[in-house]
Amino acid sequence: MVEERYQEGALEINEKKRTKFFINDHEDIVVKILKRLDARSLGVAACVCRLWCSVARNDSLWEHLCFRHVSPPPSGSRPVVIALGGYRRLYMAVLSRLGRASTIVTTAAAAAPWTSDEFQLSLSLFCVDCYERLNDGVDGTNGGDNVVKPHRRRRRR
Amino acid sequence: MGNSPADFSQLASDAILYNPSDLACWVDSLLTEFAEPPPTCSSDFIVDPVNNQTVVNSAWTAAEPHTPQVHQNITYDEQQSLDNQLTVVTAMEEDSGIRLVHMLMTCAECVQSGDLSLATSLIDDMQGLLTHVNTVCGIGKVAGHFIDALSRRIFQGMGGGSVNGGSAFENEILYHHFYEACPYLKFAHFTANQAILEAFDGHDCVHVVDFNLMHGLQWPALIQALALRPGGPPLLRLTGIGPPSPDGRDSLREIGLRLAELARSVNVRFAFRGVAASRLEDVKPWMLQVNPKEAVAVNSIMQLHRLLGCEQTRDSPIDTVLSWIRGLNPKIMTVVEQEANHNQPGFLDRFTEALYYYSTMFDSLEACRIQPEKALAEIYIQREIGNVVSCEGSARVERHEPLAKWRRRLSGAGFRALRLGSNAFKQASMLLTLFSAEGYSVEENEGCLSLGWHSSPLIAASAWQAVPAWDNHMSSS
Repeated sequence: MVEERYQEGALEINEKKRTKFFINDHEDIVVKILKRLDARSLGVAACVCRLWCSVARNDSLWEHLCFRHVSPPPSGSRPVVIALGGYRRLYMAVLSRLGRASTIVTTAAAAAPWTSDEFQLSLSLFCVDCYERLNDGVDGTNGGDNVVKPHRRRRRR
Repeated sequence: MGNSPADFSQLASDAILYNPSDLACWVDSLLTEFAEPPPTCSSDFIVDPVNNQTVVNSAWTAAEPHTPQVHQNITYDEQQSLDNQLTVVTAMEEDSGIRLVHMLMTCAECVQSGDLSLATSLIDDMQGLLTHVNTVCGIGKVAGHFIDALSRRIFQGMGGGSVNGGSAFENEILYHHFYEACPYLKFAHFTANQAILEAFDGHDCVHVVDFNLMHGLQWPALIQALALRPGGPPLLRLTGIGPPSPDGRDSLREIGLRLAELARSVNVRFAFRGVAASRLEDVKPWMLQVNPKEAVAVNSIMQLHRLLGCEQTRDSPIDTVLSWIRGLNPKIMTVVEQEANHNQPGFLDRFTEALYYYSTMFDSLEACRIQPEKALAEIYIQREIGNVVSCEGSARVERHEPLAKWRRRLSGAGFRALRLGSNAFKQASMLLTLFSAEGYSVEENEGCLSLGWHSSPLIAASAWQAVPAWDNHMSSS
């Protein structure tokens, strides 16, 4: 028997005899699916609905993404990354530029695995970035906790 | 403005195309062929300043248009936007550029020999010539800065005028933008940090003395690396030296507080001390409060050259400072300096060197895309040019010396070189791939690393340690 998915409000078939499968009722499946996406797709997925947005923003998903291509993931770095703002911020601030700056294509399938050294360097650069945002927060209009502050927008290439 | 290969061929008949991005080679070739007219190019170049790729066209004289061979894979859309940025230079501009360089050299010679009236008329001519040259990029821009510096030297005397009069706050802003716009300072910080990290291995109490704190951009990365080192982080003390703030704000303390906050968030025990001094030679070792049990690192990013006063007497500032550094017995002293010879006594030699060096640097800055970082970085470099060219005596602080000279000087003062190691080299290479345009290169030279543009080194990093029992050696000789 084939399970059929229904879009909200588009029910055409008699539901009495069929079990409804609605993906949003199964958050763990949503997580498993979104875990396989690359960064850009995760961003797109976050625009689908509130549930997907909260799942896509979950830092553990981004941690998985960051370490997907690093072998092995460096030990002990998690508390530092969390303290500096989390894996999603790390990815957006630094790791996304890794793909753009080099000649490697940015889709997940073609991305070459990057080394533990590159990760360490990225982490250091992330730290400098967080520090600069700390400075901005004191001098600029946004005060307070730098973890919740939105990422500073700078014009980049 | 030609935007397609077909259009270019129409321009071929009256255009001499040159490479506006490879300033340094071009200036060099002009300087060595002073009296000769420039050789006519047998093949013409269009340079894509975006990627510094050279698109070579052969034999413009052929009847049918030649399609430029583009040595990169780019999409059609990208090619359209690239074409908008290609600079096509007419024959007259090329001539004007060459004449500018010749006139700059002549003017510098006049200044050296004291013929100020001729120098003044040359300045006027050059400023007239500048209107015929593209001053947005290439030789026009660099020449403009040198002309300004020369005229300041002639008209305002050598007290420096307002070149070094920028406030500490302004200098910090410019420095920050220079940090963002190009990789020289990042290279300096990361290489020094790697050496310091390795030197601190196994120590639980460590103390870093920074000769020029600025915004403290070097230290977050070291704090994070110490947080993650196997065996846990040590107690880190940082002593930052910087100019006093005029308006009562304690800027050193503010930077210290931010660094402390960062260190606290990654669980590194941290203590900060600020030493406000307008000149490095005013700092005395007791102000640093070094504890004999801790491992000390001294970090000097482009500061030591400021101590090279014009008189090389026995107790010159550089010797004083180097001897008290030795007295601290640091585990490591990291020295990063510009790789240039801007401290020669003869003005013309200095001027020539500076023209070549800063042309190369402006070349490399063309690759930067972000504004206002690029513009402010240029102002930062412009101030350096002004100081090298238009100041003398104690006002001239940008007394850059090449690595070879520093090696001799530091060895003679009781230091021995530490090799920087392959980790530092790897990290520097990775940094370049992350951030920069192609054209930058890292080289290793007897244990020191240098970063350059198209194999002209522009900045060199080295690490040193005090030779034990040097004082015994000195007293017995």
